Amino acid sequence: MPILILIVMAIGFAVVNTVATHLLGPGRGGQAKESTYESGMNPFGSARRRFNVRFYILAMTFLVFDVEIIFLYPWAVTYTKMDPGSAEAMLYLGRILFFIGTSVIAYIYAWRKGVFRWD
Amino acid sequence: MADRLLLLLPELVLFAGAVLVAVAGLSPRREIRRALPGITAGFLLVAMAAVAFVHSGERAAVAAVLTPMPALTGWVRLATCGIAALLSLLTVGTIDRRLEADVQAGRLDFNPLMAGRGEFHAFFLLSIIGLLLCTSATDLIWLFVALELTSLPTYVMVAMSRPSRRAQEAAMKYFFLGALSAAIFLYGFALLYGATGTLIFSEMSAAFAAQRAGDGIPLVANVGLVLAIVGIGYKIAAVPMHFYAADVYEGAAAPVTAFLGYVPKAAGAVAMLIVLGAVGWEGGLPEPVLTTLWMSAVLTMTLGNIGALLQKSVKRMLAYSSIAHSGYLLIGIIAGPGLGITAVILYLVAYGVMNTGAFAVLASLERRGREIEDVEDLAGLRHRHPALAVALALCAGSLLGFPPLLGFVGKLYLFIAGVEAGQVLLVVIGAINSAISAWYYLILVGVPILGAPTARSETVDAVPSRWPRVAAVLAAVLVVLLPIVAARLAPRIDAGTAVRAAPDPASAAAARR
Amino acid sequence: MIASLLLLLPLLGAALIAFGPAGRRDVAGARAGSRTGPRWIAAVCTLVTAAVGVVAAMQFEGWRDGSFGLHAGVDWLADLGITLNMHVDAVSLLLILLTLLLMPLCIFASFSAITARQREYYGWLLVLQAAMTGVFLARDLVFFYICFEFTLVPMYFLIAIYGGENRARAALKFFIYTFTGSMLTLAGLLWVAWAHADRLGTWTFDIPTLTAFAQSGLSSGEQAWILLALMAGFAVKVPLFPVHTWLPLAHTEAPTAGSVILAGVLLKLGTYGLYRFVLPMVPDAVVAYAPFIAVLAIVGIVYGALICWVQDDVKKLVAYSSVSHLGFCVLGLFALNPIGVQGSVLYMINHGLSTGALFLLIGMMYERHHTRDMNRIGGLARVMPVWSLFMVFFVLSSVGLPGLNGFVSEFYCLLGAFTASVDAQTGYPGRLGPWYAAFAGTGMILAAMYLLIMTGKVVFGPTHLPGGHGHGGGHGGGHGGGHGHAGHAGHAADAHGDGAALPPDLTRREIGVLIPIALLCIVLGVRPGLLTDALARPIEQALAASAAASAAATVARPQDADTGGGASGHAEGTGDDLPRADAADATGDVVRERVRG
Repeated sequence: MPILILIVMAIGFAVVNTVATHLLGPGRGGQAKESTYESGMNPFGSARRRFNVRFYILAMTFLVFDVEIIFLYPWAVTYTKMDPGSAEAMLYLGRILFFIGTSVIAYIYAWRKGVFRWD
Repeated sequence: MADRLLLLLPELVLFAGAVLVAVAGLSPRREIRRALPGITAGFLLVAMAAVAFVHSGERAAVAAVLTPMPALTGWVRLATCGIAALLSLLTVGTIDRRLEADVQAGRLDFNPLMAGRGEFHAFFLLSIIGLLLCTSATDLIWLFVALELTSLPTYVMVAMSRPSRRAQEAAMKYFFLGALSAAIFLYGFALLYGATGTLIFSEMSAAFAAQRAGDGIPLVANVGLVLAIVGIGYKIAAVPMHFYAADVYEGAAAPVTAFLGYVPKAAGAVAMLIVLGAVGWEGGLPEPVLTTLWMSAVLTMTLGNIGALLQKSVKRMLAYSSIAHSGYLLIGIIAGPGLGITAVILYLVAYGVMNTGAFAVLASLERRGREIEDVEDLAGLRHRHPALAVALALCAGSLLGFPPLLGFVGKLYLFIAGVEAGQVLLVVIGAINSAISAWYYLILVGVPILGAPTARSETVDAVPSRWPRVAAVLAAVLVVLLPIVAARLAPRIDAGTAVRAAPDPASAAAARR
Repeated sequence: MIASLLLLLPLLGAALIAFGPAGRRDVAGARAGSRTGPRWIAAVCTLVTAAVGVVAAMQFEGWRDGSFGLHAGVDWLADLGITLNMHVDAVSLLLILLTLLLMPLCIFASFSAITARQREYYGWLLVLQAAMTGVFLARDLVFFYICFEFTLVPMYFLIAIYGGENRARAALKFFIYTFTGSMLTLAGLLWVAWAHADRLGTWTFDIPTLTAFAQSGLSSGEQAWILLALMAGFAVKVPLFPVHTWLPLAHTEAPTAGSVILAGVLLKLGTYGLYRFVLPMVPDAVVAYAPFIAVLAIVGIVYGALICWVQDDVKKLVAYSSVSHLGFCVLGLFALNPIGVQGSVLYMINHGLSTGALFLLIGMMYERHHTRDMNRIGGLARVMPVWSLFMVFFVLSSVGLPGLNGFVSEFYCLLGAFTASVDAQTGYPGRLGPWYAAFAGTGMILAAMYLLIMTGKVVFGPTHLPGGHGHGGGHGGGHGGGHGHAGHAGHAADAHGDGAALPPDLTRREIGVLIPIALLCIVLGVRPGLLTDALARPIEQALAASAAASAAATVARPQDADTGGGASGHAEGTGDDLPRADAADATGDVVRERVRG
């Protein structure tokens, strides 16, 4: 029963809000308002345009290394609180070096694969 | 930590191998690229030694504490490494064949962006790692990740196995249905977590024991188990998740099909055993679970065999037969500890060897540069390639479960396990199905050895590389010789060791002393 | 030790043929005829094995007392108690000796018939010998099953490579039928082993242990199911009436040696299975279903005989006569008294001899005249006098002429069925009776008719040969189109390559092949006691279970009139086997007297 009430309230809240904004809102339109990025660049050309496939590969490579940075931050924060000479700290250091090592291998792989070549 | 790392030594070895072959595959030097399957096989053999090392002497006790079903972990990993080494021989000369030929003829410069051989072997090893990890899964998350690690590379492998639209289509089908199945068993896992409040198998086992002692296992848990089994059933191509098998097996190149026949199937069977191990066979599997497994076993066997009967294409025939074999495996899974698990392990080994052998023969033959398809292509193979014909006959005989070949020993154990578990009807259905399967396996024996060569089969020739042939002969020899040592291939697993207590460092340390 | 030799020698020979130096010179007939060719290796190998078999028979001590001997073996799958143990008793040793006798004869008989793919042919024959010997030697259920099943493979190839026109279909049908049946048999046997493991705690596949257990340890409901499962395999092999359809096809299409072995030994694997497993393991069910099975056997006898009557193909006729004859064998077994079972075991051996010889003779005729149609060939007595002599002799032996081997066994089987319920003094639980024997007896009469008609047409009567130009001339172009095997011209050259080189009548080699069988037929016809004495005790023991079962059954259901009669007689003799044995011997003696008279 409480769950039922909860469901009813949740749905009711959503419906009421949507309907209310439509009824109460001022509703001004215009060219700028209708554009894709209301306060950004003016779009040009078709969104269906084809890109060179190299962009995708490059973008993915970028993403991979970008995300790896995220892992490095918490590690760095934890590591600064440790005694650099202790065994635990060495283990932590070892782990992150292994992690970076795998990234380096991935980098070498991408490099040899010719991802960075543009000709 | 260190104990756990030691246990995972084989996986680590293979990971190093995967990284190495991925990079080495981009080398501009042709010799290095040619050596990739060899390097893969080498790493697999090293991993095999590592498994033997990890599970021997005092380390065995430590390993036993850390894993859900110790014998399973040891044996399946050992066998997998061996069979995978055999499988890697099949892949020689398959991947990038046209590209390499063009490069060698000077029609094309080597372009690493177009080369796939290194990646293929890396994925090969990664999928094996997934299977190895499955065997030592102690909680649901681990199991899920391991299962996905097994499957994901296979989707890519199917796609890149040969340059044809059918391979692409097969990969797509395989991927989408695979994702669906993952969703299903993940949902099942979630329900299991909801019903027991834990992800760790040993704790789950305790929770189930308490529930059995109390009001019985709740509906949520049963639904979870059933969903998990049906979802994992995709990996072993069990009914109702078997639809993809024929198309995917046919679409992929023969070496990859051989791979699909063993690796995901072994992972699925192991995963089922581990999940069922949490609820436990003692006192009987819960009724809905048992019914699901039972129906699935019967339908899988029957549909697989009948499907195989109707095929003209050799690969489709073997694909359906692979479904049927999953049905036999389910007998062992239903039977559970004691002989059942033993039988499952033994049958996985047997199936891996004989299936690889059969596909190795297909991988060794081609007709005008394409894979052979029709049974007719094999007609009179005896005259041109006697060794391949005999190897195919032996492997087909073993798949049929003909005594005294390896498949017979496997099936014997499964049937005995089934009878022991009181599933006589299931065993009888299995026996009848074996008889049905004689129809189409005999074709594989008869056409190459007895048939007269036709105009079509005269154009069939061996592939340039000799390694697939070596693998075929090797598998045939194993099929004949392994039964002699079958007793040692079949580890006895007691009911008590089916599910271990929670792995903790203290008991591991104690076991080491 | 000597038992393993029997098994390993043929395998060694097969390996030698497959991998040995002789194999390379397989291409041309002339070179294959050298003394190191595969056929000579096979011949020497089978002869040596036969000699070992004779030594084994002399070493064997259980001829009189029915005990097992010649133990040997190794462990295999230790955790399930599966071993490769071997032993023999008088029954199995006799069947082994039959195998060892027929094998060299088959090989010598194939010298002129098989000219292509010799290596495989002789290799498979040797493997087949090993498998058949293994069936009779096995002391372990799984070992038995492996050998039982493995006989299919060599036979499949023998039919499928060297057979007649329909060989592919015949081989497939043979394989599928037998394989299907024996899968169910495996399930039944596993059930017995499991019941033992479940109730006594240890896994074993030792046949004597399981037999002893099964007699008392299985409920009658279980027994009925196990009977059904076991019969599924053995009945196909025998073959019993509704599942016999593979046999005529396989027989007709198989090469001569294949037919001889098929009739001589392979069919006996089924009856041996019935004798070794069905009778002692599930006695209650056997007693309950004996009449039903006996009816099937009788239908087989009469139906087989009637079909023989309308056959034109001589080989098909003999093939269907096997269905009929093996019906007697099964009838004798399910009479469940010593006479019937003795007759049945005797029949296994005698049928192997006479029918084997008939197939050999037909093969010899076919090699010369390339037809088996008795409307196209006749009056061979003038062309082939020696052949005709043997033909008449073996037809008489097969018909059951008193004084020759066939008579004794047929008579014992019928007598067994006849006395199965009347002769209550012996205490055996037979549920058949005079009516069964009477109907089965018509089979004997029919057998005489069809075999003699066949002899009359082929051997006597006006001489006419296919092709119409006198005798000899097997390959002459004049008959090329007409006689049926033109459809597989490529194959004809394979199988009957140097038929043209044969003289019109039998060669010394062929006579040499037939003589030993003929001698044995006479010896066994005149002195059946040689075998019946040896068979008495083991059969005794095999039947003890059903006798005990019937006693127990009567206690449980005294209102059952049929078994009641049998068991009331038995009640006096319970606990003491000797009087019953004497009674059996006495009956046997009486019969023997009658036979001699």
